[in-house]
Amino acid sequence: MSNSNNVGVKEGISLKPSQGYLEETVTPFTPFLAMEEAARCLLCYNPPCSEGCPADTNPGDFIRAIRFRNFKGAAEIIRSNNILGGVCARVCPYEKTCEGACERSGIDKPIQIGRLQRYITDFEKTTGFQVLDPPPSTKEKVAMIGAGPASLSAAATLAMKGYSVTIFEEKKKAGGVLSYGIVPARLPQYVVDEEIEYVTNLGVEIKLNTKVGKDITLDEIRNQGYKAILLGAGMQISRTLDVPGLDLEGVTTAVEYLGKARSNDKDFNPGKNVVVIGGGDVALDCATTARLKDAESVTVLYRRTREEAPANRQELEYTESLGINFAFTLSPAVFEGENGKLTTIKANGTRNKSAMKLEADTVVFAIGQQPEDFSKVVEGIGLDKNNFVTSLENGKTNIPDIFVAGDIDLDSIKTVVNSVQGGKIAAKSIEEYLTKAGRKQASCSPMHPKGGK
Amino acid sequence: MAKHADLSIDFLGFKCENPFFLSSSPVSGTYEMCAKFLEAGGGGVFYKTLTTTIPEECSPRFDVQRKEATPFISFKNMEQTSDKPYQDNLDAMKKLKENYPNKLIIGSIMGMDEDNWEEMARDYTALGIDMLELNFSCPQMTYEGMGSDVGASVELIDKYVRAARRGSNLPLIAKMTPNIEKMEIPARAAINAGAQAISTINTIKAITGMDFDHFTALPVVNGKSSISGLSGKATKPIALRFITNMAQDSELKDIPLSGIGGIETWEDAAEFIMAGASNVQFTTSVMQYGYRIVEDMISGLSIYLAEKGFDKLEDFVGIALKNIIPADDIERDFKILPQINYDKCVNCGRCYISCFDAAHQAIEWDNKNRKPTIDENKCVGCQLCLQVCPVYDCITPGKVLFKEEDQFGMGSKTKWKDNAVNKHDVIVGKYDRP
Ligand SMILES: Cc1cc2nc3c(=O)[nH]c(=O)nc-3n(C[C@H](O)[C@H](O)[C@H](O)COP(=O)(O)OP(=O)(O)OC[C@H]3O[C@@H](n4cnc5c(N)ncnc54)[C@H](O)[C@@H]3O)c2cc1C
Ligand SMILES: Cc1cc2nc3c(=O)[nH]c(=O)nc-3n(C[C@H](O)[C@H](O)[C@H](O)COP(=O)(O)O)c2cc1C
Ligand code: SF4
Ligand code: SF4
Ligand code: SF4
Repeated sequence: MSNSNNVGVKEGISLKPSQGYLEETVTPFTPFLAMEEAARCLLCYNPPCSEGCPADTNPGDFIRAIRFRNFKGAAEIIRSNNILGGVCARVCPYEKTCEGACERSGIDKPIQIGRLQRYITDFEKTTGFQVLDPPPSTKEKVAMIGAGPASLSAAATLAMKGYSVTIFEEKKKAGGVLSYGIVPARLPQYVVDEEIEYVTNLGVEIKLNTKVGKDITLDEIRNQGYKAILLGAGMQISRTLDVPGLDLEGVTTAVEYLGKARSNDKDFNPGKNVVVIGGGDVALDCATTARLKDAESVTVLYRRTREEAPANRQELEYTESLGINFAFTLSPAVFEGENGKLTTIKANGTRNKSAMKLEADTVVFAIGQQPEDFSKVVEGIGLDKNNFVTSLENGKTNIPDIFVAGDIDLDSIKTVVNSVQGGKIAAKSIEEYLTKAGRKQASCSPMHPKGGK
Repeated sequence: MAKHADLSIDFLGFKCENPFFLSSSPVSGTYEMCAKFLEAGGGGVFYKTLTTTIPEECSPRFDVQRKEATPFISFKNMEQTSDKPYQDNLDAMKKLKENYPNKLIIGSIMGMDEDNWEEMARDYTALGIDMLELNFSCPQMTYEGMGSDVGASVELIDKYVRAARRGSNLPLIAKMTPNIEKMEIPARAAINAGAQAISTINTIKAITGMDFDHFTALPVVNGKSSISGLSGKATKPIALRFITNMAQDSELKDIPLSGIGGIETWEDAAEFIMAGASNVQFTTSVMQYGYRIVEDMISGLSIYLAEKGFDKLEDFVGIALKNIIPADDIERDFKILPQINYDKCVNCGRCYISCFDAAHQAIEWDNKNRKPTIDENKCVGCQLCLQVCPVYDCITPGKVLFKEEDQFGMGSKTKWKDNAVNKHDVIVGKYDRP
């Protein structure tokens, strides 16, 4: 197959003019290409790429393993450090993490670490190579709220230490944003499913359709013998702006829009004239989803300039290459409609007196999320004004048996790879807590149960 | 964690943690260097060869062969024995053994005459190290009757092994030179004179390249240069051949072998072990990448062996020997046609060029569609196209055709039949592991 008609701008992207919504955009390496890329690596001393990875996935070591033809050793390095290695290989903001730190940039351009990581995790799957071999679960029961990256990572870490872990998830599918947010062109569902299966194969149980606080209470969980509980509920509430017409049909949020697009592929209506509000990666995901689902016109409205937009540059260029319009330094002023349905958006300049009027049947807010209010569910938990959990260090909270990881943690960086690391750190704190509690219990239990001397 | 096989293996009565050793060279030239390798996981070291007189060295002393952008295809050096004081080196070896009792510590010696060999052997034995390697193989010694001169002479080998034996009761390993046609002959002489094992190869006499302004070989030492020793990846095929020869020799087949030459990855190491070596040594790869490469050797080999179901490394030693047979015993009654996967083909035409210019003009080239087609009658199944194609898994071994009976000597006129796979199943190799 010839690559000459690629219009993609992203490394490895093979965007055909007819790119489908479910088609993965970045092409995988062949063994030859993986070796060639690994041979570009400078095999740095104390590799900065490894330091750049928030989850200690250790790219310096696994690229070196590829270079020395130790593919299975590479798989072991990745999987034993990052249970969602295949997911991270596809969705990490590399330009800020490993690849951003790569010394090869001083010569030409960074090593394509994400693609190498993907090559190895794919190789691990196709060869059926089993890296993790968990011990029987003989230790305490641990519960987790929400089956997103943070909980999955913490659960895998604890399962590998012999704890018995149950995750409660309100949705009908596990994965959190991986299953309900990120677009399949970047993260196909089978990758998510396979890595979740990896976690359940370690002995972790996931109870779906179970919302904590509604279908089961925290006290019930404690009474069932769970000795520690991790709060990994993410950010489920989409922020909107206080604009007249907010309740018109056609006004929606990123989480809702992407979640629907991803889960019920057939019934989802992308809209005809779609406006997305926001300038981050989530906004771009909404815009590309609309485009790949055949919306007629797609416009991204952002209140600052292109340069100030927090979105990844390559993604931004890729989105532009799909023929999506961008309007910068504009903010929505009013939504107008007929018969309760959105028809028009009026926007005003944020830096001057410009005004713009757009025909629209769908508007998607992608200006950020925040957690649900857990003050009733976990009574006494320390929260800030936006419902984020104010953690102590290493995923501990003000309640001894409650731990926190991922997006809901006030101090976390809101990415998958940081959530994986948050999960690992919280798991370590849980282990310490349970070991200490266990020891205390052992030393408190009377030596002579009958009270005799 | 995935299953990892135990890599420990016996060498002349010493239980080695794994079969990965530094070979005698600057990479094993001081206490700190050897210690760093052992800490990185190495199973042992062959300490840099000493002579009682310190040699004079030249500068520069290395050259590397490149192919396109790839450096260190092979490596040439003009170094001799250790440039550090004799006693300092003895102290270093003693301390290594004291601090790393479970690692194999071997000293390498090179005497000037019989008395000197005996004296050095005696000095080394007093250190408490495990074994002695007798260096009969350095190709660039500036003293006559030393180095590879010895390795090519059955008489000198006999004299010097006996001299070393007089000075030491430790196991003796003779390090042989590849600058010779049949290594079995001097190797037998070493064993008959009292050596217990053979290590090889040392470097191959070579010139890596010429200087185009000063009209001499590389490296240029004030306008001049010499033929000297070549090592590194490009020498591996030659080294593997010598190891196989010796492991298959009727007199040497039970003698432990230590394989050296171009080892960089666990796969390289495994190849030497399959060919009959019970352990391996390396230098050039460490010069290029550092001691850390041993980590991937350990990881890669132990995963592979576990997957293949080998309980101990010993069972893997020499496993390929029965399948390496004389050329006249190779079956020659079938051809395997290559097949092109057109979904993968990028229409470069490299297969066509190579087949036309170097094989049998069996690929037709459709210039308009840039499409190669294999002509089954003309194709001889040499599979040059498959090796040349730049796309992974694009050209693969396909249909097997058998010769019609009794056509000996027909060459390109041979007739083939299609449906004869009933004769026996043909085992096809994989030209590149994943
Ligand atoms: C559209 C979108 C695109 C993104 N793209 C990227 C990207 O490309 N790269 C990247 O690194 N990051 C990306 N992110 C951010 C990343 O997805 C998050 O940082 C990460 O998923 C956080 O993981 P988490 O486990 O904390 O939470 P989540 O993934 O949000 O998972 C939380 C889970 O908890 C469940 N839950 C919540 N409350 C309850 C309850 N009471 N009872 C039971 N279950 C509950 C939820 O249903 C959900 O499944 C993106 C985010 C969005 C929204
Ligand atoms: C710079 C250099 C110095 C060497 N010095 C010695 C030496 O002192 N004694 C010895 O037995 N071999 C010496 N060798 C040979 C190596 O031990 C080894 O046999 C050879 O390099 C082949 O292995 P390799 O391809 O892994 O480098 C030297 C090799 C090099 C490159
Ligand atoms: S996990 Fe992500 S950030 Fe870390 S090395 Fe892999 S791709 Fe890079
Ligand atoms: S920083 Fe870049 S060049 Fe250096 S080891 Fe890491 S990937 Fe290789
Ligand atoms: S060498 Fe391979 S890719 Fe090139 S034309 Fe031949 S089959 Fe196609």
